[in-house]
Amino acid sequence: MPDLDIEFTLEYPYTRTTGPVLGPFLTGLRDGRILGVRCGSRVLCPPLEYDPDTFATLDPDFVEVGPGGVVTGWTWVSSPTTKHPFDHPFAFALIRLDGADTPIAHAVDAGSPDAVSTGMRVVARYRGERVGAITDVYFVPEASAGPAQVIEPGTEPVRLTTHLIGLQISEPLQPARKRFALGLLDGKIIGQRSPATGKVYVPSRGYDHMARVEMTEADDVEIPALGAVSSFTVITPVRYYGQMETEPYIRASILLDGADSPIYGVDVRDTPVEAFRVGLRVRAVWRPVGERDVTGFDNRQGGNWEQVIERWEPTGEPDVDPARLQEYVF
Amino acid sequence: MARPCAVIGIGQTDYRKQLELTLDGLVRWAALEALEDAGLTFADIDAVVIGKAPDALEGVMMPELSLCDALGAVGKPIHRVHTAGSVGASTAITGATLVESGRYDRVLVVCYEKQSEGNATWALSGGRSGGQGAGGTFAPWIREYIRRSGAPEHIGWMVAVKDRLNAMKNPHAHLHLPDITIDKVKESPMLWDPLHFLESCPSSDGAAAVVIASEDAARSAPHPPAWIVAHAKRTEFGSFPGRDTVYIQAGVDCATALYKKAGITNPLEQIDCAEIYVPFSWYEPMWLEGHLITPVGEGWKLTEAGETELDGRFPVNMSGGVLSSNPIGASGLIRCLEAANQVRGTAGDYQVDGARVALGHAYGGAAQYFAMWIVSSEVHPTF
Amino acid sequence: MSTHRTPNRDVAVIATSQTPSYRHFDGPEPVMIMRCVNDLLAETGLERKDLEFTIAGSCDYLSGLPFAFVSNIDGVGAWPPVYESHVEMDGAWALFEAWLRLQLGDIDVALVIGSGKSSPGRPREVFPLQTDPYVMAPLGLDPVSLAGIQARGLIEAGKGSERAFAEVVSRSRRDALANPNAQVAVDRSVDSLLAEPYFSSPLRLHDLPPISDGAAALILAAGDRARELTSHPVWIRGMDHRIESHHPGLRDLTTSVSTAAAAAGAGVQDGPVDVAELSVTYSHEELILRAALGLGDDVSVNPSGGPLAGHPIMATGLVRVIEVADRIMAGGAGRGVAHASSGPVLQQNLVCVLEGAA
Repeated sequence: MPDLDIEFTLEYPYTRTTGPVLGPFLTGLRDGRILGVRCGSRVLCPPLEYDPDTFATLDPDFVEVGPGGVVTGWTWVSSPTTKHPFDHPFAFALIRLDGADTPIAHAVDAGSPDAVSTGMRVVARYRGERVGAITDVYFVPEASAGPAQVIEPGTEPVRLTTHLIGLQISEPLQPARKRFALGLLDGKIIGQRSPATGKVYVPSRGYDHMARVEMTEADDVEIPALGAVSSFTVITPVRYYGQMETEPYIRASILLDGADSPIYGVDVRDTPVEAFRVGLRVRAVWRPVGERDVTGFDNRQGGNWEQVIERWEPTGEPDVDPARLQEYVF
Repeated sequence: MARPCAVIGIGQTDYRKQLELTLDGLVRWAALEALEDAGLTFADIDAVVIGKAPDALEGVMMPELSLCDALGAVGKPIHRVHTAGSVGASTAITGATLVESGRYDRVLVVCYEKQSEGNATWALSGGRSGGQGAGGTFAPWIREYIRRSGAPEHIGWMVAVKDRLNAMKNPHAHLHLPDITIDKVKESPMLWDPLHFLESCPSSDGAAAVVIASEDAARSAPHPPAWIVAHAKRTEFGSFPGRDTVYIQAGVDCATALYKKAGITNPLEQIDCAEIYVPFSWYEPMWLEGHLITPVGEGWKLTEAGETELDGRFPVNMSGGVLSSNPIGASGLIRCLEAANQVRGTAGDYQVDGARVALGHAYGGAAQYFAMWIVSSEVHPTF
Repeated sequence: MSTHRTPNRDVAVIATSQTPSYRHFDGPEPVMIMRCVNDLLAETGLERKDLEFTIAGSCDYLSGLPFAFVSNIDGVGAWPPVYESHVEMDGAWALFEAWLRLQLGDIDVALVIGSGKSSPGRPREVFPLQTDPYVMAPLGLDPVSLAGIQARGLIEAGKGSERAFAEVVSRSRRDALANPNAQVAVDRSVDSLLAEPYFSSPLRLHDLPPISDGAAALILAAGDRARELTSHPVWIRGMDHRIESHHPGLRDLTTSVSTAAAAAGAGVQDGPVDVAELSVTYSHEELILRAALGLGDDVSVNPSGGPLAGHPIMATGLVRVIEVADRIMAGGAGRGVAHASSGPVLQQNLVCVLEGAA
């Protein structure tokens, strides 16, 4: 039994413009210094673009703060996540840097929770490789910090900061989709017929949303891999992070015989556009048994039919009148 | 019972790729401009509503939490609406509802998107390869519209040119294409047949804001108010057996409810101009029909006759529309505020003379979410 | 700015439904919603078309799919087309919008939903994305760590102790034994809890909520329509919500000023509080919230077990309203308070006051 559980990383390297306050702040971090901004009689660090009490825009007036400061609150993180600044236990703390009136939240690499206390002094340390991000700096207990670092400043101001945000999603296929995926591996298309309305859905969502009725294995029906093209377009791929398509291709919906909803997102690369049309009768040619891959079928997306179907072949039958397909476009 | 309410302040950023601001700076630009336009400050606002499309577009989850300070909402109620592409108009409607309920007198509505931080097509594809984006979803439906209506192929190109030339009069618009012509549109690369590159909306950064106020607050505002005469929303499933994805029932129902509430019996004659969500050119004729402005099969004829031009019988997208600027979360609000601009007489170079009643509209998802409003220079317009 | 405006129309909760809190629900989220909606319709005898306005609360990022909320209308029904909306927040905020919407007087019945599946993702890695994207999120600064900082601050200010936190856990999860929907229901002594190691000091693993999937829904009706539909309407006497600064350094984390302001706006102190269901997501929060709401030690807090017993994020706040409403409907309480929160360290808070017929 193949492992059909879905493991997916939703990941993108976000690039953020930094503006007139955070830009200098992050440039400062890259260059080994921490900046706050004046706000009335106070110095705010981290700096803000506005007065947090009146919400009026501040004209940035920077002040260097730190590198030392006082811990005003903390917790010991015993079990760091993959997104934390360290992969060993450390403290997250609120740190009021010397010269600032507000504390910044950051990480303290102290070795042990016994080395951390409210009121203790910590000092900034900079990473060897700095890019102009909040992660360029971290803190350590001042008492055991050792000599000050010598930081080589950069040349260009930091206008963009990058954050690679990746989330691990782990979701088993829900029962109806699991049977559907197993069916594909077996060269069968399994849909479900609603016990309430008799309509046949493929792939099924596991329920009939029109009647608000859950469906079970008893409602499974096998659908022939044969039907009519109900709609299509020709896609010219757009480049984006993770995109693997390069050449234009047809993407179609096909209403299989006996189904009341079309299968969707079917990519067709073998038939030239001139020979492809709404109403064309087509039949699936399955990939050989060992070459079928259902990893593209998850709980929500229509699926990656190319991984199980080698091509859709015109059957030679007369076309279906497009007017009869106009309500099966999607 | 529902109290009258009005738009009394409007603010917008410029719409561009990669505005050199933080998210704070982006929303504050629009919010501060709307407040100034309304003669108010943050302190005068009772509640804030934010609207935007999926958080994955910027990689910031539930941004009301990290933007509340920037929007002066500390100590106040703030919440966030999310109804896909229609969100800008849904949020405007929610803002109106908050005032109509009698609970709040002045509500700040802010919608935005900073798509340059992420990638819209990536987000619309659920972060997976092979995504077709919105255009790839709508293209087959547009083909079906063309088949049913017999519309000639140049209709989409005409809309693309009209909206971009209108945008030349709108200093906020993203696309300023003074040399655009039918031939240029036709020759631009095909993206999702039949949509060419120049028939598709840009991916924009931007924020828009309005201040919605009660009658008393509106009557003391510095500019003439745009009274919110009626609003409506309708939703249907994106896919179901027998769904007509061209003449969409939820769109028909939404328009019907809207016109009934406003007392409009002949939208083509009684609405002076419209800002309609047209991200792909062919949606102009499709929505003219789908929202009962023209009979079925006739929408493209109104476009072809030039009647949807600024000086036509039924101007559409005087500001340049979504085809000229599309920060997704804001676009629906932009349609609503541009309708308000028209009836306040503050639409500058793209003002429709004497506009008294205007329509703002947005749609979203698999063309399944609809949100629309009617604004007027009169609190109870008669027809 | 005005506080505590009396609503134009009396609006009541007339029926409620919730799924159990599951560690992992093996079907899709719409099915959980569908079960609640079908349950409500069966209980009230209403048809889908009688639910004139629908509003849902959910969060795409929990499921890791942009536009995930779109599938949720499958559970609600959207054919023929319906008037509905969605907030990317806990269902309690959907409730607030529905309550105000019914004030307009043109419609009388609303369906409110909250739902979420936290099981597919890793919440400690998802929730840092709620923080400032420039100076906090890239540190992976998660709500558990921030809660630990707040809990320690509470102890150092003399407002709490590890024992007091353990007492909340012990009592809540023991009370949950009587709640058929609870996920974590167990009777453990305070001393046995205090013997466990720290997770995010001074918080221990049991001071944190479980990871849950779940959905909840209720029907609101206005005035006479409410009285037609049930003989036990639970009236919403007041509701308010406020937010604090998102910069933790700018707040006094040992108090909840936004809860206090929302409580004043909702009129909590206008009458007796027989029961309170509070969104105590981390045990130490109960001390802060009791103080902010002015609840004495005699007030029963979280008889359901609260979020420590089951935390279907995006439904949790709405479930608190439902737990209070159910107790009032059953005659076990006359007047109660429900609380919802959003954001790290109780940044945003909603308070709802509910009362049965006199």
